[in-house]
Amino acid sequence: MAEPGDSGTSAAAHAVVEMSLSMVSPEALLKTCYWFSRDYVCEVKNQNQSVAIVVLSPKSVTPDFNPDSIRDAFLTNALDFALREKIEAKTSGIRDLLLAKAFSESGVLEDEPEGVFGDKIEESNPDGMFKILNNTQR
Amino acid sequence: MARTFYPHEHFAPRPSTFNLLPLKFTRLNGKELLVNEAGEFLFAPTGTIQLLTDQTIDTASELYRDLKAKHFLYDDTSSPLLDVLAAKIRTKFDHLNGGTKLHIFVVTLRCEHSCDYCQVSRQTASRGEFDMSQATADRAIKLMMDSPAREITLEFQGGEPLLAFDIIQYIIPRAKQQARERGKNLDVVVCTNLACVTDDILMYLRDEGVKVSTSLDGPAFLHNKNRPRPGGNSYEKAIEGIERGRAILGFENVAALMTTTAASLDYAAEIVDEYVRRDFHSIFLRPISPYGFALKTRHRTGYQMDSFLKFYKTGLKRVMEVNRSGYRMAEAYTQILLTKMLTPHSTRYVDMQSPAGEAWSVLVYNYDGDVYASDESRMLAEMGDRTFRLGNVHKDNRRTIFTSDAALQMFQASANQSLAGCSDCAFQSYCAADPVYHYSTQGDMYGNRPTSGFCARNMEVIKELFTLLEQNDRETMQIFWAWITGRSLQSEVVECA
Repeated sequence: MAEPGDSGTSAAAHAVVEMSLSMVSPEALLKTCYWFSRDYVCEVKNQNQSVAIVVLSPKSVTPDFNPDSIRDAFLTNALDFALREKIEAKTSGIRDLLLAKAFSESGVLEDEPEGVFGDKIEESNPDGMFKILNNTQR
Repeated sequence: MARTFYPHEHFAPRPSTFNLLPLKFTRLNGKELLVNEAGEFLFAPTGTIQLLTDQTIDTASELYRDLKAKHFLYDDTSSPLLDVLAAKIRTKFDHLNGGTKLHIFVVTLRCEHSCDYCQVSRQTASRGEFDMSQATADRAIKLMMDSPAREITLEFQGGEPLLAFDIIQYIIPRAKQQARERGKNLDVVVCTNLACVTDDILMYLRDEGVKVSTSLDGPAFLHNKNRPRPGGNSYEKAIEGIERGRAILGFENVAALMTTTAASLDYAAEIVDEYVRRDFHSIFLRPISPYGFALKTRHRTGYQMDSFLKFYKTGLKRVMEVNRSGYRMAEAYTQILLTKMLTPHSTRYVDMQSPAGEAWSVLVYNYDGDVYASDESRMLAEMGDRTFRLGNVHKDNRRTIFTSDAALQMFQASANQSLAGCSDCAFQSYCAADPVYHYSTQGDMYGNRPTSGFCARNMEVIKELFTLLEQNDRETMQIFWAWITGRSLQSEVVECA
């Protein structure tokens, strides 16, 4: 979990989020800021190498502005982007393979997609996807 | 003697480990919505994504089996069926196959209407210099036939194209002859307000197998307010033309489209009812396009996307009520999205494709020979911005059009798979990029998704549809499947999740 930080007070015109960079990468943090940028000015500061501070200032303050709920929403979104990064890290290789197969007219790939696919059954299947890769290795 | 089966573990041993397949997710209605690379989806309990990434999901659970069946993971007891998934992905992009299919000929800018929201910088009805010449038509026909597509649709637009009926009569036989010579199938459509149509024109269109697409914005008070013309009788002319058109061309060969102006926003149900009254079985609840003349008059016709979405939801609710009463009527935008969400297929609707349909799926040949990436691109040009002008029929061929600086610049921003905000989006495979819209509204082909009206509209509509799909109401699903498959409202429901 990202570490909770100073959520500000209800009187504050901004929300403050303290984020552990070991939990949420800078890229995931910036993607979260991107989506919040419609309604908030997002100021990102590095407190130190492992913690970032995000100050969210509403572009127009409304009476129901609640820093705590904004902070919660930001944390949830940031953690979701961190999960997406994990999924991408685990699946990018096979995604490349799938897309290459989908758009290969000839059935023969020019380059072997990077990544470990780890499916022994499919690898041993003489008519399977990995036959395509073997063709390119000859 | 009693017989028993072996327990299912005997046939499908519990896997020791599993691997994830590519997926995207979002949170909706207290659940996690997972979407795979081919657009297949699954509603799962909150926490499922964490279990998957931590590799701690119970491999004996129903959820695990659902995830496996929907191509979200594979394990050592199964082949990942990668070929099947790749085939589904390929099918999803089938709209790219074959090249440009829709070719729009703007045969004149003349029009006798003076609609505030008109997307074209119209000219008065007597100014013939805004008509397409025969020489330009010849070159445009050749370029159209140079497309590798076997199925070609030739669509006449304006202005009001029937004001230049002579050039339509010039183009149709020549296009047909070239289509025959090149082994292509040619469909022809005329987009007309029908105000100046005659029985002679309709009989010609019937004999040539041409379909008519007209405008019907709603009941008389609304249609005439939106579409002023001398006599103030646009509605009466349109209804008379629709009836005569149906009688001469055949009922199914006359279609109607509506445009939502600020004046329309409070009348969603009345607009739907007008389409029912006129015996149409499809309605397209379309927002106004932020192009061309509509930009100049937006203080009179424009509105925020929030207002349109409220209008759309009210209209869709009315359409569903109409269907529940037994009258089959599809809402076209919903139908397009449901096709993408519930089937492996893509659609030919060029405004919702990625890579964007501009040029790949549609080309526009203006009256003066200029070639544009889409109708909206041409509308921008009529306002003096030629960013999406790809060439001219008298100077260019298909190769130079597709490799023009304008085309290449546009193509870079035309795949939502690589756009900021879209690349992680769970709705990516149902949505689109639309660089022309974003250039027009935000001054940037790539666009800023958090402030994009295009994104707001599609995000909200797709969420609304997923909410309905998750509720899985039998009658609603029956209606949705009837729209997708073209079957009757009474057909059996196909379970989707």
